Amino acid sequence: MADSTDIKKEKRTQSARNVRPLVESMYLRAHQARERGQKVAYCMVMSQYDEILAAMDIVPVWTENYGGLCATLGTAQPFLEKAEAEGYSNLICGYARTGLGFDALRAETGEAPQTPDGGMPMPDMLLGSSIGCDTRFKWYQALGHYMDVPIYCIDVIVPPVNRNLYEIKDFYVKYQAEQLRGLVKFLEKTTGCQLDPDRLMSIIHRAEEARHWWWEAQQLCRAIPAPMTARDHFNIFVPHHFMIGEEATLDFYKELYQELKDRVDSGIGVVDNERYRLLFAGGLPPWHSMGIFSYFGSLGAVFPAQLAYPPPDPFIIPDNINDPIELMALRSFERFTYRWEQAHRGCGDFWVQHILDLVPEFNIDGLVMHGVMSCRATSMGQIYYQNAVQKYAKLRTLFIGSDIVDIRTYSEAQTKIQIDNFLETVETYKSNK
Amino acid sequence: MTISSRGLERAWELYQDRLSYARVMASQGKKVIGYFCCYTPVELMTALDLVPYRIGGRTDEPVKEADAYLETCVCSYVRSAFDLAICGEYDFLHGLVVPHTCDAMWRILNIWKLHKPLDYTYFIEVPHMVGPSSCHFLEQELKLFKKSLEQLVGRKITEEALRDAIDTHNRARALLQEIYQYRKADPPLISGTEIARVLAAGRGIPVEEFNELLLQVIHDIRTRDSESRRKKPRVLIYGGEVDDPAIIELIEECGAAVVMDDLCTGSRSFWEPVKLKENAMESLAAHYVDDIRCPRTFRPGKPEERFQYLLDFAREFNVQGIILYLYRFCDGHALEAPGLKAYLNRKGFPVLHLEEEYTLLTKGQLRTRFQAFIETLG
Repeated sequence: MADSTDIKKEKRTQSARNVRPLVESMYLRAHQARERGQKVAYCMVMSQYDEILAAMDIVPVWTENYGGLCATLGTAQPFLEKAEAEGYSNLICGYARTGLGFDALRAETGEAPQTPDGGMPMPDMLLGSSIGCDTRFKWYQALGHYMDVPIYCIDVIVPPVNRNLYEIKDFYVKYQAEQLRGLVKFLEKTTGCQLDPDRLMSIIHRAEEARHWWWEAQQLCRAIPAPMTARDHFNIFVPHHFMIGEEATLDFYKELYQELKDRVDSGIGVVDNERYRLLFAGGLPPWHSMGIFSYFGSLGAVFPAQLAYPPPDPFIIPDNINDPIELMALRSFERFTYRWEQAHRGCGDFWVQHILDLVPEFNIDGLVMHGVMSCRATSMGQIYYQNAVQKYAKLRTLFIGSDIVDIRTYSEAQTKIQIDNFLETVETYKSNK
Repeated sequence: MTISSRGLERAWELYQDRLSYARVMASQGKKVIGYFCCYTPVELMTALDLVPYRIGGRTDEPVKEADAYLETCVCSYVRSAFDLAICGEYDFLHGLVVPHTCDAMWRILNIWKLHKPLDYTYFIEVPHMVGPSSCHFLEQELKLFKKSLEQLVGRKITEEALRDAIDTHNRARALLQEIYQYRKADPPLISGTEIARVLAAGRGIPVEEFNELLLQVIHDIRTRDSESRRKKPRVLIYGGEVDDPAIIELIEECGAAVVMDDLCTGSRSFWEPVKLKENAMESLAAHYVDDIRCPRTFRPGKPEERFQYLLDFAREFNVQGIILYLYRFCDGHALEAPGLKAYLNRKGFPVLHLEEEYTLLTKGQLRTRFQAFIETLG
């Protein structure tokens, strides 16, 4: 068992430490934008529309991020309780409950709660999507109960893995482009401004460059010892997910790459005695108790990779596409299907394929999955992933259970016991390999 | 199997024997294809003489083995249905079709395939948005689904066969609409329990047989008079896959008449017919994008626009109270419910909002909640 002194020994990157100030500035900018009359939009991550917002000077407020932020800072409870008092089930997404509670309080008192980071500014529009889970559009629909602002949602389709990609590509890409064009039309009407395609194309290029550097930085984490802590992994995705297209974001990932490269070149790991290399292979992080990853570290367990917020798979911008919307639609299809052909030939599931790809690349000894009681999208299938992976790679799996936001679902003592037992089995597995 | 000549009795028998009836069909060489949700275009299966079988669970039995394969955050309807599969109850299925309707549906097919391999499986990507581009997308999806079914059977679906299949299913929809009209009488000429049994029977037999059954049921109802029946508080039930008539029966045992529903296994699945135009596939796609009012589809508009249809139901069927009977872990309904409840309250309807598991093994607490609510409707 490790004590708190051990836990402090993890060597965090400076890049990850720079994220919190970026988040503070993100909310400050959103408030300032609101004050000067610039349009502010509530947004959902991974909706494939990020660069369009940047090109139209619409300031995004990422409502899921606010849920995670509240959980990390321990300020979510009043929002969760308010949402539940409003009749929302305590089983719906923790982010959504936080956001619904926040906006219900704003509607009730006429003032937005100020903590943390000044709260979320009142949006001029709600931009949902269907990517990943149903909550991403149902949440904003529910917000109609608390605010009278326009809402627009788009489909973002992940192609089923059992399909012939050549057979579906044209109409899947066409549909995605049509959905994005519908959004642009809505934004132009709402803001009174036209989208500048050249500006959008330039932002896409900058965004792709940032993604490239993040991807390259992630590849450095194959090194033994691992150069970045699990908590850092769960911080450094923030500029990409919430500030893509900005120069500062590009600079962030270039600096991250350099910092990790320096560490790898010097053989600097995140713990003194790296013994186990684990993959966070399912679920979203328990934002309310991220210290648990330091507990792993204190026992010599590192996470060279994670699948909650991995860098997007590589995409090379084709020379022959001049329409940025068409390019974004194609990019969406190509990224979602990056591992399809291989999955098609082998395990039949893209998520399992992703795990199987990472295991040898990052020398993984075991899998950790977080069953999030309020998130079907990332939790349903974890047992299946474990069972499917076992067909190809004999790996031990730890399932921990709690929520992304709601700490009432969590037992630290029990989780630590689970971790201790799990690492013992990994040790045995490694010895017998 | 003894088949009664009377429609309502026969419906009850068919429902009770649905699994063995399907096994008999399978043993006679029929290809029985399981499917989830009211978004699966069953017309395409009917056009090829396949038998669509709506996957259900069992509320009267605990989950035995599925817990080893499904996380606790998965809705208990899916858990129960998958449990039946794991326990071999669905071994008669030749195949399984799953539309992407909710997060649970998105995941269940691969899990099912890993633990219960089938000769044929298909996943249909159904848009979550409405509008022309969504209809066009689904039309392309359905063309591929059609092609896949044709390969399974070894013959093509002609335009004529598809139009016939749509007509046959539309006939079922029209007959069900007719039966629902008998619920408007006070007291209603057919109980909610009886209708739930008829609907349940229809989920496991070929549509042609179902249409015959519905005609028999209509004949039965026409011979009834409402004078001899006692008037009761009239309620509407709203929810998802409430496929077990026992739930409706419990509400009616508590003193109410369930006179209308907005359920995935009720009116939601048949209220609108497929509006056949020149192109049958296009008509089918438009129907499955636009006509089914499940909260899994995003519809723009304020509550007044989105829920107007429910208010119309409530007024048309002279409803006094509304029960939102939702399953835990069903995000679509859970995120809709508080706004819907507030809207219905504003319109003057008392609402009972329940979030339950898919089980009736412990009815006591549920009975108390229903009784208390129904008493207030007095």
